[in-house]
Amino acid sequence: MPIFRWGQPWDPFLDLEREVDRLLQGVNLTLHGVRFSRRFPQVNLLELDDSYVLTAEIPGIDISQLDVTIASNCLTIKGTRLPPGEAGEDAFRRQERFHGPWQRKIQLPDRINEDGMRADYSAGVLRVTLLKAPASAARQIKVNEGP
Amino acid sequence: MTESPDRTQPHESTSLIPAPENATGEPRLLFNPPIDIYETPDGLVLYADLPGVDSEGLDLQVQNNRLTLFGRVTTDVPASAQMLHQEYHIGDFLRSFILSDEVDHDRIQAKLTNGVLRVELPRAPRAKPRRIEVSGG
Repeated sequence: MPIFRWGQPWDPFLDLEREVDRLLQGVNLTLHGVRFSRRFPQVNLLELDDSYVLTAEIPGIDISQLDVTIASNCLTIKGTRLPPGEAGEDAFRRQERFHGPWQRKIQLPDRINEDGMRADYSAGVLRVTLLKAPASAARQIKVNEGP
Repeated sequence: MTESPDRTQPHESTSLIPAPENATGEPRLLFNPPIDIYETPDGLVLYADLPGVDSEGLDLQVQNNRLTLFGRVTTDVPASAQMLHQEYHIGDFLRSFILSDEVDHDRIQAKLTNGVLRVELPRAPRAKPRRIEVSGG
């Protein structure tokens, strides 16, 4: 905060404005705990020595409704989460859980062995294990001398 | 039912809930799980998303008209794993609700399936009028 200002020395609102701006900028960083207004599902990607592991929080899915595919190093998970069947729209007192179709695409950082893919679903968490493709051996390229 | 049981006190700890700590003694994160509450002819039904919580890690209790749910999340991520991309953090779930007097506490039923908790809060049968005998003096 400047102690002395040329021009309008008695403009208290300028400082107030700046202070409010600064506080509002801080609000964006404190979204911890407000989990339901974000992308669904939330995913984490972990790297192990020989594999990548993707975990996604997708509670309450029937595994027949869960679709996990991989194409050109891009992993796609999609499905639909249905609202509780017996509840009418006007019966809700509170509705914070996500319902509806969802899809996430995750680009993998490295080549993977598409045959060694494995997906497990337990306690509402999907876990996809992807084996890294073995690094291809360096290949010598012969240089031909021009005429 | 006039009063909705929606007053939440997410981070209040009660003595019945173990102090949340992990193996290294650091406090674990606590999250407020998203919920749905809807009315049925028999009472209220509550759904809560608790991904990563199994039936052993779930603690559901009613005390003094307060329904508290606590879910301990278990993960088996190897320590050598390196996080490349993180959208969610691992932590436990805690949320509590004030139940209205119309909920029959003895008939509350809960079921945990695929990380979703469903709690049935049946309405208590209406109290029958009771005749009070007046004895003549």
